[in-house]
Amino acid sequence: MKAEKPWVPILFLAPALAFFIFAVLVPMVATAGLSFTNWSGFGEFTFVGFANYVELASDDIFAKSFTNVLLYIFATLILEVLVGLCLAGLISVQKSGSLWFRVALFAPVMLPMVVVAVLWSFIYNPDFGLVNGALTAVGLEDFTRIWLGDPDTALLAISIVSGWVFSGFFMVIFYSALQQVPGELSEAARLDGANEWQIFWSVKIPFIRNAIEVGVLLCVTGAFQGFDLFFVLTNGGPFNATEIPTTLLVRTVFRNADVGYGSAMAVVLTLVILVVGWMFVRIRKWNDQKELRR
Amino acid sequence: MITKKSSAIIALTAASALLLGACATSSETTTDDDATGTTDSVAEGTLRVAMGSPGEAQISVWDQIAAQFESENSGIKVEMNYVDDDLYQTIGLPNLLSGRDAPDVYFEWAGSRLAERNEGGYAADLTSYMSGGVLSGIWDDAAFSSGEVDGKLLLAPHTADVTNVIWYNVDIFAELGITPPTTWGELMDTCKVAYDAGYIPMATGNKDFWAAGNWLGHLTSRVVGEDVYDSALGQRTSFNTPEWVEAFGYIKELADNNCINASANAIADNEGAQLFFQGEAAMHPIGSWLVSWAIGEAPDLNFDYVNLPAMANGAGDQGSVMGVVTGYVINEMSPLKDKAAEFLAMANNEKFVTEFIAAEAVPMAISAASAELDDRTARLNTMLSGSDHVVGPPDTDYDLEVADYFYRAVAAVLGGVSTPEEAAADLAASVE
Repeated sequence: MKAEKPWVPILFLAPALAFFIFAVLVPMVATAGLSFTNWSGFGEFTFVGFANYVELASDDIFAKSFTNVLLYIFATLILEVLVGLCLAGLISVQKSGSLWFRVALFAPVMLPMVVVAVLWSFIYNPDFGLVNGALTAVGLEDFTRIWLGDPDTALLAISIVSGWVFSGFFMVIFYSALQQVPGELSEAARLDGANEWQIFWSVKIPFIRNAIEVGVLLCVTGAFQGFDLFFVLTNGGPFNATEIPTTLLVRTVFRNADVGYGSAMAVVLTLVILVVGWMFVRIRKWNDQKELRR
Repeated sequence: MITKKSSAIIALTAASALLLGACATSSETTTDDDATGTTDSVAEGTLRVAMGSPGEAQISVWDQIAAQFESENSGIKVEMNYVDDDLYQTIGLPNLLSGRDAPDVYFEWAGSRLAERNEGGYAADLTSYMSGGVLSGIWDDAAFSSGEVDGKLLLAPHTADVTNVIWYNVDIFAELGITPPTTWGELMDTCKVAYDAGYIPMATGNKDFWAAGNWLGHLTSRVVGEDVYDSALGQRTSFNTPEWVEAFGYIKELADNNCINASANAIADNEGAQLFFQGEAAMHPIGSWLVSWAIGEAPDLNFDYVNLPAMANGAGDQGSVMGVVTGYVINEMSPLKDKAAEFLAMANNEKFVTEFIAAEAVPMAISAASAELDDRTARLNTMLSGSDHVVGPPDTDYDLEVADYFYRAVAAVLGGVSTPEEAAADLAASVE
């Protein structure tokens, strides 16, 4: 049957496509183009070919930024995803009275990240901050540190803040997924003598595997996009200990006015994220096929 | 029949048409300036003035100037644009200048930045305005020198700031029986006495690198000499020399002798200042703007300053001052250059110079000479104007990327992460 108004779907698509072209496609193409130039942000461009990429290949700080982000991913997988999972498990077992508990844990997610960073910069302040003040008050002065100024502790300190914010987010995701687990499975396991811990890890976790995979993917991609927390708390310091690709990119473009080099960084970062996403999809597909063969 | 492929093509075309239509519409929109022509005799339009945020008190003065200018120039609307300081200094101003509604007048630092604006074609020659025009008679001839590039006067000077001195708490010094240090050795002794008494000898907040970077940059210029300082930061000579290693060695000595708060590289400049305001620190190295800041934040604080102590056997002028002249530039591409010059003349008339002084800014205008200033501010101005050598801060007088590498090298030595030799070598490698 012939559609009466075949142009209607096109009209519906056009605004979204226009936004996509303007806000995503054009900047991506422009950035890729700028990566082959030497440009300070205004005035004339100078085409330099692959010089920016050659320089990037030997940039130790750029390489270190990826190391730092991998460490951050590892830490946040534990502090955000694993903690979120455990919290979800706890509240799924103890349902009565859990509503306020869930609200309290989710509340940090609703705060703007910049507000969180400013708040925690005071908490971590080495001279009059809450952490060192509390440690001193209980006689643990030897454990006080310059949390954001010590290369050994700065990245962990930022990861803890990230965990404080996002563990509630993942808790909500996993709690919703756990609600979908059929009660009969848990009952059957209980009848077989399994305790709650065993039911959680051996029955419920495998059942919500898809949700966990999504959570891991969100955590990993979120880490690559992370910027505001790092910028406000340490701005990549101390001594590049918390430098991640996004903070280095912003510094290169907006402070050093090296737009061409910064664009090359952006292109490489995008390619890395695409490769990580592709690997994730391949692993998931391989796992699904393995399940089917069973 | 419309296939899936042709639907996609039509959708993409429609989207592109929407996009191009929007862009065409916006590019057809004329600004007041475009509508009234591009000659200097334009008498109406929007006069745009851009600057980093100078604080509420000074913003109030600028708003008064804008209002008065509008009332005296019917047809001219003044649009003031106050941008976050850090943003303005880095990407903010270049973005504004290359945008559609570029400022007609904008704040700028004298030095390499001003030369860059000239090269980019964004700085109008003010010579005719200053010699016999609306801007004549406002400043002494000596005030123009810092704003001269290639024989052209490009900067209408506004203020001259001493970028770094060592502020000290007079009461703490009296309590400890110490006097302001005038030599490096005296500074080390002062640090020891203050540290042993439980005070932070010198508080600084160097998270953003410039706070300690500036005053330690001044220190290095005293050691290596102003010419070597200038040529290294100007990328004409290397940092990897024995002189620079010696200079960085003094920074290491500061750290080894507990002169600086351990948290220096972890806290921001305002947090470092708070340690001084709260009486936790005996000294605080920062610029002349501390006067108004401290009067507002810590009105009971009894404080004074001393210039950076002399370095024994230093190659530079041991009486040098680190300072910078700032002012306003008229955009060469502005269609309202005459009006912009009139605006700057109004901003520097006696009435508004008095208002600026009340707002704790001291304009370089001749009429400011007779004003009643805070004694410390007056002495700082005298020190700056009387100095044989004024050393420029790295981030205003030199390439920003080189300044960034320099600041990070200094921070690394201060934080004990790099030795002087490593810092000099790494800095040289980064700059090259």
